[in-house]
Amino acid sequence: MMVEADYCFAADLGGTKLAAAIADTQGRIVAERTEPTDPRGAAHVAEQIAACADKLSQAAGIEVVQARHVMVGIPGAIDPRTGRISLIPNIPGLENFDVRAFLQGRFGTDVAIENDVNLAMLGEHALGCARDCRNAAFLSLGTGAGLGLLIDGRLYRGASGSAGEIADLPIGHEPASKNSPATTFELEVGSSAIVERYQRQGGKDATTVRDIFRLLEQGDDVASAVLDTTARIVAVAVVTLQSLLDLELIVFGGSIGVRPELHDRVRQALTTFSSRPINTAVSQLGDRAGLLGAAWAAGRVPREKHMSPG
Amino acid sequence: MIVRIGDESNNMRALPSLPIAGVSRQLSRRSAFEALLHHSPISRAHLAKVTGLSKQTMSEVIDDFERQGLVRRVGRTRGNVGRTAVLYELSPAGGHVLGIDLGAQQLTVALADIAGRVLAEVHEPTDSRGGTQVIEQIARLADHLAREHHTHLGVIRSIVLATPGVVNPRTGAIEMAPNITGLAHINVVGLLTEKLGSPVVCENDINLALLGEIWHGCAQNVGNVAFLALGTGIGLGLYINDRLVRGENGAAGEIGYLPIGGDPMQAEARAQGCLEYQVGASGVVRRHREAGGSGVESAREVFERAQAGDPLAASVVDETARLTALAAATVIATADPKLLVLGGSVGARPDFADKVARMLVQLSPRPVEIRTSTLGRRAGVVGALSVALRRLHDEFFGVAELTAPLPLPQAAARDTARQ
Repeated sequence: MMVEADYCFAADLGGTKLAAAIADTQGRIVAERTEPTDPRGAAHVAEQIAACADKLSQAAGIEVVQARHVMVGIPGAIDPRTGRISLIPNIPGLENFDVRAFLQGRFGTDVAIENDVNLAMLGEHALGCARDCRNAAFLSLGTGAGLGLLIDGRLYRGASGSAGEIADLPIGHEPASKNSPATTFELEVGSSAIVERYQRQGGKDATTVRDIFRLLEQGDDVASAVLDTTARIVAVAVVTLQSLLDLELIVFGGSIGVRPELHDRVRQALTTFSSRPINTAVSQLGDRAGLLGAAWAAGRVPREKHMSPG
Repeated sequence: MIVRIGDESNNMRALPSLPIAGVSRQLSRRSAFEALLHHSPISRAHLAKVTGLSKQTMSEVIDDFERQGLVRRVGRTRGNVGRTAVLYELSPAGGHVLGIDLGAQQLTVALADIAGRVLAEVHEPTDSRGGTQVIEQIARLADHLAREHHTHLGVIRSIVLATPGVVNPRTGAIEMAPNITGLAHINVVGLLTEKLGSPVVCENDINLALLGEIWHGCAQNVGNVAFLALGTGIGLGLYINDRLVRGENGAAGEIGYLPIGGDPMQAEARAQGCLEYQVGASGVVRRHREAGGSGVESAREVFERAQAGDPLAASVVDETARLTALAAATVIATADPKLLVLGGSVGARPDFADKVARMLVQLSPRPVEIRTSTLGRRAGVVGALSVALRRLHDEFFGVAELTAPLPLPQAAARDTARQ
């Protein structure tokens, strides 16, 4: 049974930033911080997560050892049989580094790792806009594309932990070759694809999608056209998901997915693509969905021992 | 002899309010039945050992079962020393189930007993007039099967109907099934229940074909399976975390509507589903004609010509395989199944399945095991029987929400059941 003094440590590791929090076992955040992800790769990133826990526990006045349950979201697929992490293009070396064992050694407690988009799905299910849903998806669009799936009220991870790794959905142009690290849907709607599309169409100086959204606000036609194209491809993915899984709600998240400018355009495209209504919404928890989901899931570890993939 | 145990089953339904002795008795009956299901023929002593129940309890339960006609004696053990024991097995008279697979081309009806033994099966072309004519046809075949077994429809206690499309739970009509006419505006479930005399449960035909493959076909003991069926139309069944995925409105797996292979905004594509408009049987014939082919009436002929070396037909088949592989790639990326089963009259063709598998390697970076359906056109009716059996078992031996459904006997398990 839980005692009141129990706390959880939750982290959401992304390619560019690391968010971490100490929360109570109900998933309520006590202290929270965000820092840029150490670019030097796996070992440094793992160390950075541990250091984050130290800083947070100092700030909150809670000893790290009291953080009994640790949940770390990572941007990759975790094989439920082997615990092996794969499909992480953004953090060098993480596929061959046992981040879970490292953190268990540091914290002296059990550590669960989970796909970051799955945690965002859990966050929206527990606290956000998918609260009453049994069948929903969290569609994350940012540097890359990912999907968290809730089927019959439970997280669905797939036979090898890579359900929802929709980067390689064959949507858009012909699929990439087998040896290419990035794949099709992501090649069409990932942030670098959007920037490239903008530059190819003769847009002004823009090196990030953020720039493009700013230009859009200033009435830039190319920015508007580029987002229209992107939204149409996203809409194709949404129709695809809906015909496969018949979902109640598809939540848009990730740095690009949360932008209403994109979501509105996708809605517009959907009206022409699909004769059946499809429910979509912008993430209510925004860029904290993954972290809040991790904190909530960490609180469930003592109640549901098998929270780690499987 | 047919023994009706209707009164018994009415008691079962009232179980939650029974005193604990009733629940405990029901659990004993359930355990005994499960052991009989998986280990027949079997003696009382062996049953007691398998279930962990006392010999006394087991004797009472078996006496009960004998009186109700649930079990019958099939001989005696040939012991080395000491007395021999009577061997029991589930009696075919214990209860019957009916499975119906209503396809656009073919209608199959099968009768099985409570132990899952298929007693008779019949199929004929689906009445092309559709609607109530099809209802009449099903009733006629069911009656024929029962008579063939010197019995009547009254012995059938559980009926499951496999249909394309989605059953509207409010009206009992079958929607989104464009290949059979006249089912969208009649109460299919209600009419069939009335004709056959027992409640009919409908389930999507692809889902049932998938359950058929899981019970007796190529997907036994696999927890995550995708079943992709291509024939008159295209559909997907998903079985993940050991459960069917039905979706919010029962429309999961309606992949005919995938935006693959054409412009999803075009009128015909919108109505029939973008992917199905291309790869469904009529799409194959249409694309063959559009490519300059002639003299072809059915998709089957296109496939036969392709196999005989006709380059034009081959190109149509190749494109069909490519689009099917694209659909499979979206399934793999999204649902990450352990096994992909290709079924349906086109999908299960070995030459076609090979093409799909080869193209899938180009399209999907993740390897997945692919098998072709081993039950073929029987998959749907076998799946319907499996669900009908589960429902019958649950009616007789369900204990509120206390226990999971009884596992059905495996096809291969019969030889190895006796330890």
